[in-house]
Amino acid sequence: MQIYDDYKEHADFLTVYVREAHPTDEWQMKSNVKDDVCYAQPKTLEQRLAIANDFTKRFKYTLPFGIDDMSNAADLAYSAWPERIYIIDESGHIAYRGGMGPFNYKPEEARNWLAARYGAVKHEAPTAAGPAAKPSATPTTVAPVPASPTSAAAPSTASSTK
Amino acid sequence: MNRFWKWTAGVFGVLLVAAFVMLSIMAGSPKDAYGMVRYALPHMHRGTLKVGSDAPDARLVALDGTTRFHIRERTGPRPLVLVFGSFT
Repeated sequence: MQIYDDYKEHADFLTVYVREAHPTDEWQMKSNVKDDVCYAQPKTLEQRLAIANDFTKRFKYTLPFGIDDMSNAADLAYSAWPERIYIIDESGHIAYRGGMGPFNYKPEEARNWLAARYGAVKHEAPTAAGPAAKPSATPTTVAPVPASPTSAAAPSTASSTK
Repeated sequence: MNRFWKWTAGVFGVLLVAAFVMLSIMAGSPKDAYGMVRYALPHMHRGTLKVGSDAPDARLVALDGTTRFHIRERTGPRPLVLVFGSFT
């Protein structure tokens, strides 16, 4: 949840769960089987709620969370499926419109927008150092950021939130 | 069907098969190629929102299943980062 941790003092965040991208009864991916993320496309709101709750519990996901209802109103309004990021500014206008995931899902662009406004937040690059390694407060590189629901199960370069 | 149309249909068919084979290689399997065509392609260029557009509203349900709220309720004095996605 790095981008959230880095910018929650400046911006609000809201994760919106939309209809499944790779359910078992549609276009299931091998990675979903491997990661044991196998769900049929929800037909009821209760089923959506159950999956969303599974997700937040499994990944201890703490970002504010909302679920698109069965009319898919949020998905339709924002062309959100399968994954996408927007930033809405204080005047209620779209300030950043991300591309359609997974190939054009680029959380680093959202991070750049926030960084341009509030300053870049940098972090030490992860190392292979063991537990004896002394934590350093010296920031060196921009850290990877939060995974969206879609990418959380199988983070990848194409879809993980940076 | 005259000879021209037979050849045209034949070439078109071969190109179609070749395209599917290529897509299967790129996607990882014929099943994924089908999934891409069936589920992803129709969504590639949908939507008219752009930077500067009014942010649409939609009603959402909270994780507790009973609380309802609107996206626009969360906009206001600070920018709102909206992250859309699903589990799979």
